[in-house]
Amino acid sequence: MHTGQCLVRRCVSYRIRRNASNGRGRNGYPNESAVLDTRIQDIKSDVIKLNRDLLVLEEELLFPANTQVALFVSMDVGKMFELDSVQIKIDDKLVASYLYTPLEVQALHRGGVQRIYVGNLRAGTHQLVAFFTGGGPHARDYKRGATVKFEKDTQAKYAELRIKDSSPKLQPEFDIKFWQ
Amino acid sequence: MRFKLSVRPRSRRPLVAALGCVLTLLGTVSLHAEPSGEIKDPHYGDVLFQYFQDSYFSAATTLMVSQHFDRMSHHSEEAEVLRGGILLSYGLHREAGDIFARLIAMGATPSTRDRAWYFLAKIRYQRGYLAEAQEAMAQIGNALAPELKEDSTLLKANLQMARGDYSGAATTLAAVDNKAPSARYLRFNLGVALIKAGQTERGTAVLDELGRAPAEDEEYRGLRDRANLALGFAAMAGNEPKAARNYLERVRLKSLQANKALLGLGWAAAAMKEPNLALVPWMELTERDVQDSAVLEAHIAVPHAYAELGAYGQSAQGYELAVATFTRENSALNESIAAIHTGKLVEALVDSNPGDEMGWFWGVRELPDMPHASHLAHVLAQHEFQEALKNYRDLIFLTKNLLEWREKLSVFDDMLADRRKAFAERLPLVRARASEMGIAPLRQRHATATVMVAAGASAADGLAFADARQVDLLARVASVQAKLKDAPDSAETGAARERARLASGALTWQLAQDYPARVWQVRQQLQSINDELATAQRLEAALAQAQRDEPARFDSFDKRIAAISPVLDALMPRLAALTKTQQQAVQGIAIAELARQQERLGAYSTQARFALAQLYDRGTEHAVDRAASTQEADHAKQP
Repeated sequence: MHTGQCLVRRCVSYRIRRNASNGRGRNGYPNESAVLDTRIQDIKSDVIKLNRDLLVLEEELLFPANTQVALFVSMDVGKMFELDSVQIKIDDKLVASYLYTPLEVQALHRGGVQRIYVGNLRAGTHQLVAFFTGGGPHARDYKRGATVKFEKDTQAKYAELRIKDSSPKLQPEFDIKFWQ
Repeated sequence: MRFKLSVRPRSRRPLVAALGCVLTLLGTVSLHAEPSGEIKDPHYGDVLFQYFQDSYFSAATTLMVSQHFDRMSHHSEEAEVLRGGILLSYGLHREAGDIFARLIAMGATPSTRDRAWYFLAKIRYQRGYLAEAQEAMAQIGNALAPELKEDSTLLKANLQMARGDYSGAATTLAAVDNKAPSARYLRFNLGVALIKAGQTERGTAVLDELGRAPAEDEEYRGLRDRANLALGFAAMAGNEPKAARNYLERVRLKSLQANKALLGLGWAAAAMKEPNLALVPWMELTERDVQDSAVLEAHIAVPHAYAELGAYGQSAQGYELAVATFTRENSALNESIAAIHTGKLVEALVDSNPGDEMGWFWGVRELPDMPHASHLAHVLAQHEFQEALKNYRDLIFLTKNLLEWREKLSVFDDMLADRRKAFAERLPLVRARASEMGIAPLRQRHATATVMVAAGASAADGLAFADARQVDLLARVASVQAKLKDAPDSAETGAARERARLASGALTWQLAQDYPARVWQVRQQLQSINDELATAQRLEAALAQAQRDEPARFDSFDKRIAAISPVLDALMPRLAALTKTQQQAVQGIAIAELARQQERLGAYSTQARFALAQLYDRGTEHAVDRAASTQEADHAKQP
């Protein structure tokens, strides 16, 4: 029969063992497992690299740089606006309509920038219109738009739809920034 | 600890979730990729957007694609650190190690270098290279990001504890701010480290503070239970059963540590020579799931206590009951082992716990439907099993990922064929339209007009720029003047000739007046035509270029698809084979754990039978003694 003292030893050493074995393939890990672990590492690495090559191929095939347009959404502080959804039109045609989950809004608050749309446009002048829907100051429903005309040349065009808090106005602000 | 006579069976979900939680806390790779400043490349922001949603696979591949297109030049170092961290979390230690070593070698900024050294130390520690991990830790300077400092301290303490330097670990952990997010975990580690280092009083004080602290959620309540459990057993080890009972009574009756605490509580009472007190927690334990070794032990501890109380009959019954329970449980374990052998366990575990991506935060939340699913809870508590299962699940995810790509590649093939066909159909039409336009003759006509305009401008009489009405008037005046020239002289003819001269003069005057504006207009128009011709020529050149390049572009894509498809096809059987091997490995770990459980059962069963035999022997001896006494008494009565 186990004695209480046996259990004492087991429990006191419990945390220590846990601390020392929080990696795989550590002390006492059978060799066979280590080999399997290495093989799994290799295949994970191969598949990740293949995914990169496939994504590059996909982008070059579907959205060549000379016609590519990518639209991003960012939010700086977001205290004055609780984002619900974004709608985007290019040349009066709806190209993106997105409803946000709390996790996505949180990711935007933390500094993430969402690539909401990627597509193709001919060279020339185009109009971009974005509508932001959500909760504004004093928990009121809020819908605002931002519009801009832009010139598309033979380089990829990146536009960032920015939601910013304007402290002096105590209102959210929406603008569009172009990256080249 | 409060006792209840009847305890509702614990829900499986929180049990397994809590197990996962503990393991996560112990094995997580903390990347801390919060952007330190303004996002200067939107594509890097996009990577973070996915990363912050725990979509690590997407974050890693998106990051690598943007690195390929050189779209994150302002965040190149941070991106590499992030990539290394994500790969590390996927168990790609070698590759992650290469990334961090490269960052250090290429002279990264001090903060990146320190971050890289930290991750290298962590990798080496996880791989068991303690000396090398220590060396990497020593390289960390003063530029380590504040959010990593706490983890770094924990790693340092872990390294010290792994080397047996508990006193050093205690000193390291004591320096951590109590308000830090993981302070409670660090204090727990500190308490355990101190006790291990022989500084029992100090360690007890730290754990006692933790064991009394209010806990706002289940995670911290669980940690508090663990602190009290550790205190209880440390007191038992120090022969302080009364103190042990005080600590163990703080453990919640429904917590993960409850079984161990109940068992310890009983042993503490037994050590105080109060077997009746020991019976209370042990009886409670016998009502619980026999998967737990504490419950198994309680099944023989209860009859032991009865025997101590002199209730030999109840004790014998208890041992018999224990043997029967152990036999039943052994059969159940056999069934579970057989079920695991069929391969259904691992598949069912993954199926009943879906997740979008592969990653280290995935954990088992639901147990599959099996005859004795509760056996799995014990198996799942094993770190080795969790890691192996995660690898298995990652391989399944990668298989699905490749199957999706295989389908997409065939769509790309079709898309290319369509584009090639559309290009071939559209090309003759565009060519025909271009030749209809005849840019070269237009250019020739433009050149002729330019010469004429230059001549007209040189004449400066405005005749070359007369409009249609003026040309008509000039012609009519000239015609009238020609007729009047041949007409016989008369007064009327003279007057008519004078009017014609006046009209001609007025026209010449008007043309001279209009000349500057008109020559400017015509030159403007010529320039505009010239520009349009240039544009048309560029388009023609672009068309010619496209005629040459597009087929080459299509061919290039064809070749890339043709080259990448076999790579994908070659990976599929490798993945399938590895998935099968890994499944067997996972099953092997589970079966080995259940076999260990059977061994424990066997040992307890033997002890129960032995104790039972002793009881019977004692009973027999007692009966013999009584018979002998009776005989002696009878003899004494006889005359």
